Amino acid sequence: MAPSAPSINSTMSSRMATPRPSSYRYKSEKRGMTYNIMLVGQSGLGRRTFLNTLCEREVISPPEAPNPETANIADPMRFDTYEVNIEEEGTRISMTVIDTPGFGDGLDNTECFKQLQDYIEAQFDEVLVEESRIKRNRRYRDHRIHTLIYFITPTGHSLRELDIELIKRLGEYVNIIPVIGRADSLTVEELATFKQNVMRDIDYYKLPLYNFCWDESDSEALKENREIMDYTPFSVVTCDEVLDNEFGAVRVRRYPWGSIEIDDEGQCDFALLRYILLNSHIADLINYTEDVLYENYRTKKLEVGGFGEGEDQGDEENDEDDEVLGAKNE
Amino acid sequence: MSASDANSSAKTQTTSGGIGIANLPNQLHKIVTKKGTNLSIMVVGESGTGKTTFINTLLTTELIEPLEDAARRKKQMDKTVDINIHKAELEEKMFNVKLNVVDTPGFGDYVNNNDCWLPVVDFIENQYEQYLRQEQQPVRKGVVDMRVHACLYFIRPNGHTLKPLDVRAMKAIGARVNLIPVIAKADTLSPTALRQFKKRVMDVIDAQSIRIYQPPVESDDEAMTVRNKDIISAVPFAIIGSTQEVKTADGRHVKGRQYPWGVAEVENDQHCDFKKLRSLLIRTHMLDLISTTEEVHYDKYRTTQMKTRKFGEPKPRKVDNKKFREEEEMLRKRFTEKVKLEENRFRQWEQKLIAERDRLNKDLEQEHNLVKQLESEIEAISNVNSPNGKFFRK
Repeated sequence: MAPSAPSINSTMSSRMATPRPSSYRYKSEKRGMTYNIMLVGQSGLGRRTFLNTLCEREVISPPEAPNPETANIADPMRFDTYEVNIEEEGTRISMTVIDTPGFGDGLDNTECFKQLQDYIEAQFDEVLVEESRIKRNRRYRDHRIHTLIYFITPTGHSLRELDIELIKRLGEYVNIIPVIGRADSLTVEELATFKQNVMRDIDYYKLPLYNFCWDESDSEALKENREIMDYTPFSVVTCDEVLDNEFGAVRVRRYPWGSIEIDDEGQCDFALLRYILLNSHIADLINYTEDVLYENYRTKKLEVGGFGEGEDQGDEENDEDDEVLGAKNE
Repeated sequence: MSASDANSSAKTQTTSGGIGIANLPNQLHKIVTKKGTNLSIMVVGESGTGKTTFINTLLTTELIEPLEDAARRKKQMDKTVDINIHKAELEEKMFNVKLNVVDTPGFGDYVNNNDCWLPVVDFIENQYEQYLRQEQQPVRKGVVDMRVHACLYFIRPNGHTLKPLDVRAMKAIGARVNLIPVIAKADTLSPTALRQFKKRVMDVIDAQSIRIYQPPVESDDEAMTVRNKDIISAVPFAIIGSTQEVKTADGRHVKGRQYPWGVAEVENDQHCDFKKLRSLLIRTHMLDLISTTEEVHYDKYRTTQMKTRKFGEPKPRKVDNKKFREEEEMLRKRFTEKVKLEENRFRQWEQKLIAERDRLNKDLEQEHNLVKQLESEIEAISNVNSPNGKFFRK
């Protein structure tokens, strides 16, 4: 049971109905679109429950009870991969989600950024190598990260150093979509102020977030995208239980003073975010990663002399690269 | 009766008529009421955990004002922990309290939070040190007592357990002051999640031997004992803070937070432990907090210091905060540069003076030579004039 499309803009659903001229939609219909998402954020902001709520089932099970004896030692950051197959309004999506527990949880988190960057670059490198093969693998599975969902702590004030550093460093390698985790700790006014302050910080520090308006050719889509950008960062609340009331099954989060309906756009941006991620902007996110981010990376890497392009770089380097390729082909 | 007899047999006697010793508590009451008291509370925790709101809610007045945008931006990437002291004088029914609230902006807010609790710990120990020094002065009047009586540590509710930062910081702080752990922004956890989180936090506190403030349970008054047990069972206190009055669904006006889905009330025990914490801090256990600080924590500090230091000796400086060391280096460099500049200036001035002196000396010599020349001419002329002189020329 997929929640209905948000009523923000009726033209959005019509966009999906008319297939956009993207090679992905046609080729991957059978196999399912390859879509890779990374979830980054400090522990306790709801990454795991976000994924479960997004996929409408328990993809990541709750972690084991932590050991009090080792509470003074921080767990190092790790990359946990989950494969989920979703069907969204007729399109099959073969989604890989990478969770990063341990990010920002230690005393000194300076190493986390490098680890993330290395991971993302490694996926680009794999594709670079694959492209340069003499014989390419038809079944090659693309692991490039198409979206990075970054969970911001709802302090109610503004961005923290960790947030600023992360977006600054990774924005050129991956599409970053900022999200306010546990947004139910903020009242309506606080949420509005917080969003405003966050966006002001983003302008001030010139942080490279995913620009929904990157494709300026389609003016109607541009208008929609500008409206969507007004909602960033997206406030997210995740589902605890499913209630049955007179309207059917409702996903809620219950408190002694009331219940939040997750799929109600008036209460949080979860429904909108889900629609953007899996429906209206999935093609855009993938295309931007491939056509812009990856290409930029590729150009930079080849200029530095990574993969044998350019005879004028000297014989020594060329020999080295041939060796690398030769080894990989065996 | 000899002196030794008097010392060895102290008889306990209850006076039959009553000489009035029982009136001492009343006298004490009058004295204390007139004197008022001094209370220092410290709040420690990451930014955005509701420390400022809590203090303002507790005191029902805006003691700490929210930061201006410019100040907040400056603090964002600043990488230091500040100690800000807010003072207030509270008066209620003729009893006044000099209140100090110590805030610690920057704690746990950066990418690298190693040792971020050191400024907090240093502050606490410095207050003990100040008090110790003042006690040792010949004139003890007007002692300024800023010893921290309670430190509230705000834990961010991540739903799992304490972070390593929390563990290390609480251990260091709890060994020196009355530490009261508090779960911030409790309105983001569902009741079951909150119960589980509290249990996990207490498990870690036990396993890691973190020392927290234990209020006395037993008391003469049955009702008090029950209340005390109630308070202790709520640790760590889950709180919600709000200075705004809102209207609930059933028409009551309460202090709380208004969400689209309901109102979380500050003073409702079903929603949070604010009332219990307020009781602990002010209504029922304020005196105990003050006396444990003086009798236990301060005394421990005093004992360890006096064992290793002579009376009146200044405190040896420990390894400083890295950031302060850097500042110190910079200041030292600036100072040496300034000194060098001044030395150069003086040297140049000296050179100038020497050159001037030489020039003047030379002039003097010239004049001297001129004078000598004239003198010799005069002599020559006078020689011509004398009888046994040579020819004289006109």
